[in-house]
Amino acid sequence: MEGAATYQIRADPQHKFKPAVVKNCIREVVRERLSGLRYEPEEVPELSRSLADSVRDKVKDAGFDRYKLVVQVVIGEQRGQGVKMSSRCLWDADTDSYAEDVFMNVGALFRSLRLTKYIFAFFGGF
Amino acid sequence: KILLFLFKQTAFVVEDVSRIIKESVEAVIGGNVYQHSRVNQWSTSVVEQCLSQLSKLGKPFKYIVNCIIMQKNGAGLQTASSCFWDNSTDGSCAVRWENKSMYCIVTVFGLAI
Repeated sequence: MEGAATYQIRADPQHKFKPAVVKNCIREVVRERLSGLRYEPEEVPELSRSLADSVRDKVKDAGFDRYKLVVQVVIGEQRGQGVKMSSRCLWDADTDSYAEDVFMNVGALFRSLRLTKYIFAFFGGF
Repeated sequence: KILLFLFKQTAFVVEDVSRIIKESVEAVIGGNVYQHSRVNQWSTSVVEQCLSQLSKLGKPFKYIVNCIIMQKNGAGLQTASSCFWDNSTDGSCAVRWENKSMYCIVTVFGLAI
């Protein structure tokens, strides 16, 4: 049928969200920007924002067609306190997915850095 | 008026979402003292309750609910997010809650279908 409109309602396998690829993206950015850093309260707000932005841009360039992306960065100081993070999503399990990576800075320094990062990707029409 | 009604039916209303978050956190954690053994259960029930209330709103959204609970001892915590989405329909809402012994930060993202 020539000229008939066709709509893509599912992500084709080539452009589907691949958690392993994205996890690598996260890891690269984080290793590059955070190794050796200490938790400085004045710098952390700016740092977390720019980290989130660079991860988003990197994943955007990875070519997952028609996905919306949500990047969440959490940076915490290590002082022996307890932290717990959990997430739950209401979405289409066929197309939507997430990737996560944890970076921990252990050194002789008393103050160090702990970081968790989540990416959620949504398939949707723009 | 009809337009406003339609808008409310299909939009991400931050006030509603923040009310849902506060109610869930209050109900689950309330005045409890930080206990390592119960944190898992608390954070799970907070996200679960938020999500079930959100789905009851009956709006055409996909949701992400994220909850962080941290014990208070003077350590810092910072969260940030960055999104690639449709600004006109999608939205987010973050609530910071604390009692004497812990912080609880809940973030909800709503993405229009």
